[in-house]
Formats: sequence, C-alpha cells, structure tokens
Amino acid sequence: MYYTEGLPVPETPSPGETPGPWERTDVVGKPRPRVDAYERVSGTAVYPSDIVLPRMLYGAILRCPHPHAQVKKVDTTAAEAPPRVRAVIGPGDPKTDLPWSFRDVKTTLFPKTCRFEGEPVAAVAAETLYQAWDAAGAVRVDYKVLPHVSDERRALEKDAPKVHENGNKLKTDTYSRGDVEKGFFEADVVLEQHYRTEAEVHTPLELHGCVANWDGDVLTIWESTQGVYAVQSRVAEVLGLPLSKVRVIGHYMGGGFGSKLQTSRYSIVAALLAKKTGRPVKSFLPREATFLAMGNRPPSNMTLKAGVKKDGTLTALSFTCLGTGGAYPAGGTSLVDWQIRDLYLCPHVRTECTDVYINAGPARPFRAPGHPQCSWALEQMLDALAEAIGMDPVALRLKNVPDYSQGREGNPPYTTTGLKQCFKEGARRFGWEKARRKTAGQEKKGHLRRGVGMAGSVWFVGGGGPPSTVILKLFSDGSANLNMGASDIGTGTKTVMAMVAAEELGLRPEMIRIEHADTGTTQYATPSGGSKTVPTEAPTVRDAAVQVKRRLLQMAAEEMDLPVEDLRYTGDDIVSRSRPDRRIRIVDISGLKRQGVVVGVGHRGPNPEKKTVNPFCAQFCEVEVNTRTGELRILRFLSTNESGRVMNRLTFDSQVIGGVTMGIGLAATEMRILDANRTGKMVNRNWHDYKLPTSLDVPADIVGVPIEMPDAEANISGAKGLGEPVTIPTAAAVANAVYDAVGIRITESPINPLKLSSLLEQQKKEG
Amino acid sequence: MMAHFSYVRPRSLKEAIGHLAENGARVHAGGTDLLGCLRDQVFDVRKVVSISGLSAMRGVEQVAGGGLRIGALTTIAEISEHPLIRKHYTALAQGASEVASPQLRNQGTLGGNLCQKPRCWYYRGEFHCMRKGGDVCYAAGGENQFHCIFGSGGRCFIVHPSDTAPALSALDAQVEITGPGGLRTMPVENFHVHPEDDVLRETWLERGEIVTAVRLPAPQASLKSTYRKIRARRAWDFALAGAALALELDGDRVVDGRVVLSGAAPVPWRSLLVEDTIRGKTLDDRTIDAAADAVVKGARPLAKNKYKLPLFRGMIQEELRRIHQSAGADG
Repeated sequence: MYYTEGLPVPETPSPGETPGPWERTDVVGKPRPRVDAYERVSGTAVYPSDIVLPRMLYGAILRCPHPHAQVKKVDTTAAEAPPRVRAVIGPGDPKTDLPWSFRDVKTTLFPKTCRFEGEPVAAVAAETLYQAWDAAGAVRVDYKVLPHVSDERRALEKDAPKVHENGNKLKTDTYSRGDVEKGFFEADVVLEQHYRTEAEVHTPLELHGCVANWDGDVLTIWESTQGVYAVQSRVAEVLGLPLSKVRVIGHYMGGGFGSKLQTSRYSIVAALLAKKTGRPVKSFLPREATFLAMGNRPPSNMTLKAGVKKDGTLTALSFTCLGTGGAYPAGGTSLVDWQIRDLYLCPHVRTECTDVYINAGPARPFRAPGHPQCSWALEQMLDALAEAIGMDPVALRLKNVPDYSQGREGNPPYTTTGLKQCFKEGARRFGWEKARRKTAGQEKKGHLRRGVGMAGSVWFVGGGGPPSTVILKLFSDGSANLNMGASDIGTGTKTVMAMVAAEELGLRPEMIRIEHADTGTTQYATPSGGSKTVPTEAPTVRDAAVQVKRRLLQMAAEEMDLPVEDLRYTGDDIVSRSRPDRRIRIVDISGLKRQGVVVGVGHRGPNPEKKTVNPFCAQFCEVEVNTRTGELRILRFLSTNESGRVMNRLTFDSQVIGGVTMGIGLAATEMRILDANRTGKMVNRNWHDYKLPTSLDVPADIVGVPIEMPDAEANISGAKGLGEPVTIPTAAAVANAVYDAVGIRITESPINPLKLSSLLEQQKKEG
Repeated sequence: MMAHFSYVRPRSLKEAIGHLAENGARVHAGGTDLLGCLRDQVFDVRKVVSISGLSAMRGVEQVAGGGLRIGALTTIAEISEHPLIRKHYTALAQGASEVASPQLRNQGTLGGNLCQKPRCWYYRGEFHCMRKGGDVCYAAGGENQFHCIFGSGGRCFIVHPSDTAPALSALDAQVEITGPGGLRTMPVENFHVHPEDDVLRETWLERGEIVTAVRLPAPQASLKSTYRKIRARRAWDFALAGAALALELDGDRVVDGRVVLSGAAPVPWRSLLVEDTIRGKTLDDRTIDAAADAVVKGARPLAKNKYKLPLFRGMIQEELRRIHQSAGADG
C-alpha cells in the first residue's frame, strides 16, 4: 500500500556503477504540493521564531544610532535597574566582548568604533521581550560621533572620511581577454553608457534571530538560517567549542534570500546571555535592525562600452563597476562582471571592479549576487546595440550565444547550453515578433504606451556539487525516513527530495518523512544558497535510495537463494528475472523484518571534469507607461529557464513567480535611502518606506516555461539550479520594455514616477 | 520599546472626552497610525483612550436637507463601498479606496484618516526635528523626494498623508468636533494647520476634543467629483501627487469647482489657481494646458522632488481630459 502501483521503478545499478539518467519519471517533474504545505499554511509548523522554552528569557541588542562613532563610555546602571533584567553585556569585557571578523577584518562583538548604523553596542536579557527592549534602550552610551561617508561614489574622494584607518578602497579586481581596443576598432558601432542600480535590502518575512539554550556544556541553537552547519562552525569557533557540542536546528525558516547564509553576532550574543543567566535566551531582531545590519544587495555604478559589427557579432566589452559592501569586506562587487565575461560570445573583454568601504551595513549575498545588476547594464546595452544596427534584440542575442564558458580558465564547455532555446522558445511563447510589431505600430496620440522587452542570463554556479551525505532509512513496513542536513529555505527542497526518493524506490511520496537541518541528528550539508541545493542534494538522495535498493536486493538474494544479478527491484517486491514466478514482497524480506530498518547512505558524486554546469534563462515582458504621469504597469512576464530537469512543476512555477516579483522590486520599487547629506542614517528602514512590490505591482500573468534538455553529465538527478536564475534578467527586461514603450532609457533603478515623470517631460520639451 | 501608558475604553463620548482632556492622552480608534507612532516613539503617551466601543460614532446616515453624516469611526472600507457615497460623492469613495491596503482600510477610520500624523521619515524616525520640538528640519536639505512643494512656510516640508481629506475638502464637507466645550463644526478645508501657524500640530483640535463626524452637503446632480492618486508603488503607499476635483459642470463647461491636492503640501492643498483657470471655461486643450501650468504655479520644489512639477501637471491634464471625455459621453 505504500508503493506506487503499476509504475516502473528505475533499474538498480550494480554496486560500483553510477546510475544513469532516469529514462522516464512518474513522480519527479510532476506538479506536487509541498510535503509540509498543511503545516506551513495552518500555522502548526514551528519556525525558530515560534520556539518558546520553559524559563526562557528574551535578549535585545542595543545598536549604534550613528553610521560612524566611537563608543566612549557605556553605562548600564539604568539598564540593570528595572526589575526582571537578568543580564547586561557590553564592550570591553573579555568574557563577552569576543573577537569577531568580517572576512579578514577583525573587530569584536561590541566594537569600540562602530562603522555602520546598527553595529551592536551592548545586549541585555530580560524576562519579557518588551522589558529587554526597554532595558537595551536604558543603556546610556557616550558616543563620539565621527564623520561618515554614505555614498560609495564619494568614498574615494580625497577628503572623504575614512571608514578604516587604511582608507576606503578595499580592492580592485580586473579581468581581461583579447584586446578590447582592437575589438572596438573592428566594430561598426560602439556605444558607451553609465548605469546604476540602487542598494536593495532582503527583508525576509521571518526576522533574523535565534533561541539559544545550554544543557551542561552543550549549546543548542534554533536559528532561522539557510545552513545549520554554517552556524554551527562559526559559533563553535567563536566560543571555542567542539563542533559536537554545538547543535543548530532550523527545520523551518521564513525566507533568507542570501541574508541567512552566514552567522551573525546575535547568535553569539544569545549564547553568551544564555550562559550568563543559565537560562534559554530568545533573540530576534526588530525589523528596523534587520534593515540596518542584516545585509543588502550592494549598489552598483557601472559603465559599459560595447562594440558590435553590423551583422550582430559582438567585438568588445569594456566594463567598470564601483560598488560597496558597506563598512566591512562583504562582496561589494562580487560577481557583478560575471555575465560580461561569460554570457555572450565576445573575443575582447575587459572588466575592472572596485569595492570601497562606506559607513553602512555590510552586504550579504542577495539572490544571484551581482547578476541582476550586471544584467541591468549588459542587457540594456544589448538592446541599444540592436537598435543601432537595426537588428531585433532576440536575433542579436541569438547571434552571440556561446556553448562554452569564456570566463573560465580553459574555456570548458557547459554540460548543456539552453540559452538559445530559452530565447527561441521564449520569443515563440511570448509572441515576441507580433508584440514588437504591435508596440512599434501603436498610435503616438494616446498617453498610455505599451512596450515589450526581454533579457537573457547565465548564473555563475547552479550545478551544485559535493560534499553532501544523506541517509535514507526504509522501515519494516516499507515507509521511509529521509535524513539530510540541508535546509529547505522555502523553495520546496523537502518536497523535491521526497519525490526523488519516491521515484527511485517506487514509494508513494507521502510515505517518506523528511528529517533535516539539524546538526545533532542529520548529516553535514553546505548552506542552501547559490541555487545549488537541489542539484547537490537530489543526486545524493537518489544515491541513498539506490543503496537501499541494493541492500534489499542482497537480502532477498540470500533469502531466495538466487544470484543478486538475477533479481530486480520493482517497488513493492523483488522479482527473479529468469523465473518471474519467484518473487518476494519487500515487507516480507526477513532481513528487513529482523533489522527493522535498511539504511542507505548516499553521497554526492563529483561534478563532470572539464565541463561546467550552469543554468540559463530568458525573460520577456510587456509594460504600459502613462506618459503623463510616468506610472508603470507591468502587464505580463514570461520566463524560459534551462535549469536541467524540472523536479516539481509546482515549485518550478513558484520560483519563477517569486524571482520575477523580486526582480520587479529591483526594477521599479526598491531602494535603500541613506540620509547622506547630514546624518548618514537609513531613513526608510520599514516596510512602508522601503517599497517592496505589492501584488498590484506584479502581474498576475507570470508564466514559467521550462526548457528541459537531457543532461546526463551534470549529476545523476539531471537537475540544475533555478532559484537565482529566475530573478537575474527581470529588471533589465522591464527597462528594455519601458524603452520600447516611450523611447527613454532608464539607466538608474528604480523605474518609478519620480524618474519617469521628469524624463518624459524632458523628452516632450526636446520634442 | 513603547512608553508605559494606561489604557481606557470609555462607554460614552462624554467619558472619553474627560479622559482626553488629561495631559498626555491620545485617542485610539482603528489604531493603524497610533500604534506605529507609539512603536517609533514619535510622541509621548500617558493614556490611550480607545473609542472603539462608541458604536454611535460609526455609520453613514442621511440627514435632513439631503446631506450625509458620516460617523468618525466609520471605517475607510465602509466609506469606499457605501452606495450613496459612491454615487453622489465619488471623490470620497475613490479617495477611501486608494488608502493603504485592504487590511488597513478595514481597520482605519475616517476620523483617524483626517487626524493622522505625517509620514515624513525624519518625523517618524530617530530625528529630533522641528515638528517634534527640535530646531532643525532634516528634510529641507536631506532626503526630500516625498516632501512638499507648497505651503512649507520654510519650516516643515511634510505632505499631509490623507486621501480622504482632499476629497472632503473638495466636496465642501464640514468636520464635527466634540470636546469639553460641546460641539462645534468647521470646514474640512480649514481643519489642518499650516506649519507657519503652528509647526507642532496638524489639526486645530484642542485638548479633549475629538472628531465625531463629517458632514457632507446635499448632493448636486451637476457636480462631478473624482480623486486621483499617483504613488511610487500601486498599493499600500501614500500619494506622490494626488488631486480631488469637484466640478459643477454644464456639459463640459466648468461652472464652478474645487481642486484640492494631496502629496503637495503640509495640508490638503486647495489649488485656487487651477479653480480660477477652469471656472467658466470649456475643458478644451487650451484650458486643460493652462490648468496644468496653474497647478504648479508658485511651487517651491526641493532638491529631490522637482519631479512633482511634471507629475502634478500630467496628472491634472489626465484628470481634466477624463472629465471632459466623460462629460462629452454623458452629453
């Protein structure tokens, strides 16, 4: 009853043999609601922020209100005075003011010099949340406010205040191939344009935070995180504990988008407060603090010069970017030039990315770090080139699709290159040519102008890879428990893994229970980021299922006294190939009955040598611009994705919708605003002033189109990453559509009435 | 995080007024604005006086002479859906429907919408600005993209956040105020305080007074009213630019009318210049262009809100054209 009926189960490879690609699938790839849908929707799912332990205290962190200040004196008397405050910790105490670092720049938990608004200054634990916040507010701090620099474009000016003693320049990365000057010389058209994208803040629905509890010398942390093992290792390192004494649990988490890949000071602070009080401490940040201190997508100031021949051949790309990861090294220009190097065929390429410090919160990876910014420049430039040579934007891109990675050493081929198909199928499904004709032919009189736009992309990684270990336990009744360390960050990982195990074992997915994201009970896994969780874990789960099948076949062979090669695992039983009348039901295998469980340990195999595994995407959209007011309506979106095998058609669509939504935020609504002229403080640190797109800003018509290309080399599941590719080209596609509608290139995000109304007026004046 | 305060939920208006007359008392109706202000420590509060139990203050009733009386506790959602308001006072129904989000419209009240605190991020944030008793307006030389172009008096550059107030003002509504001294009424148009008169307050309510109702005059068949709002995102946002128009039309000739802007000034901003431009005129291209010029005449934009000039111009053009077209269609 636990098995799927009448459906073929994949052949079990012999020991030592790597399973081939699934020939056909009956579970994988089908639309399947999430295994934890009921729990999530009904509210019974226990997120880390739901955890309440007996005798639990609440922690609160006092944060520096200035973007740059010296902490002269901290007076905790008043904070300790209110009743029911149990602990106060702050700077200078070697037991609690522990060393902390951002990459190789050292600081402490409560630094003497605060370099961004929101750096921790002191922390308290109290009986209730409000008492904790009140007590933190009662800590008296004497600050010496220092001059600040809040705009990366000013950070390298001579008289700019220094964020660090050695100045504001962190580094300049350069890349070059060919000879760009030669490339520009060979071009028929050369264009140069400056672009800027604003800083975005992650703002996941669940706040950042944790609950810390000591049981003797064992520390348990329930944390809203994308990777429990990442938290475990940093906490153990900072507190000087063996890994075995730090247990991190994160069964559910309410969004991270990259901001919960790393460990934050609040986790250490909660552990220290819990240690000091001998009681569990829950410490979740107020929303305002997450805006300041929990990461951002850095602003990017990009200049792109590009050369193209009349036939559409790209000859040269020269790209510079000035970015900032905030007050510490945090990847301010990370991957921002990748697509310049890799997306389109181009012999002559030069990039130069300069990362500077400013007095603002450190960046964190944000859904496809660097890529949407790069798309904003590159894909708008491609459209401008296409117009200049009188070529269709899709045709220009198709002319320059590579099948190998130009940006990587040795130019390794991609295992599959779906970019061409993404463009072609996307254009077909969207009705690109017809839509273009329609917008070109629309009456000039009306004040509502339609436009269509598109953009393509590649994602730097997305192929996953080792290490990963997964344990699959088949119980005596035939149900199974799948045990893995990876987090399901809301993308449906658990569901996909249940589907993979079900596919391989011939089990019904409901019979598989997932245990995950717990360093105490599940295996080591890297954090869920980089769109690598499915391509990392799905092959591992499949391997574990194969191990279970092999073990069952062996047991059956012994019991039936037949050679194991003669037996075939069919799902609910094991059958002799030579004598089909001889069969044994799985649940009747005495070895299974005796042991009560059969355990399969799966490992992630290596990635293909000398090849690279990357997902590709193209997106198409239609917009309407009100030329009187500059209001933008995004009417429809279509996303074609070559992300390998579709694992779950429902979560595939969810990713597309989510990625496009987030991309619309970058395109049209979101920006961090710092009071650069006076205080350097972030003025829009809440969900009203920081404008995430609402359901009215996002079209109901968002279509995901998978481009499935058999990929036997990527990994034994055939899957590639999807979560980040779906947001890379979105903003650029919108900008291109706006240009198609009104003939104005919006080179600086976001495209809102503030910008458009002025530009439209200017356009009218210039006639 | 929040100040310590006491909470009362009086049973009668009189009792409520008694509490509100105390120092540091704040009225709590829907709470959509008050709670945010308390959390952000925008002002001090000692006593929260919840009037949610005063059900007599909720609802829409027709009054003798044909007007409407809308209780101050009527929710924004109720106003946006009310058939009589939709039919005869379209600008108000439209304004109400443009407020915030469905959740907030279900919770927020008309009285609260008129009395809400400004949304300037310096005022709401950790800045001791002029409106909070400080001596600096941070917006003047700061991040002022959402600030005013009229009426700052050079002191405070907020825009009044209400969408219903411009509509009520355009419709010549009266606000009914009850306080220790009894009942008084004043035009909605005069209800809000210009910064040059007093930078520390937004309404002319005296201590102990609350808005109990809003009264609308009897509907006129020839009156066409609309509310248009432009914002940085399409929901849950305040106006970058908005306008309530209430025009008495004869065909497509404007006999008379009122034009009140939102997103323009620290108070709902009556644009007499636009009114003068269109009064007695047919809404042809020339009049409409002249009205578009008039709407920003005398505006004093700041460094980051110059876009509001073309935005208001474009919006007025669009609205007047729409009225012209529908007047043509009606005729």
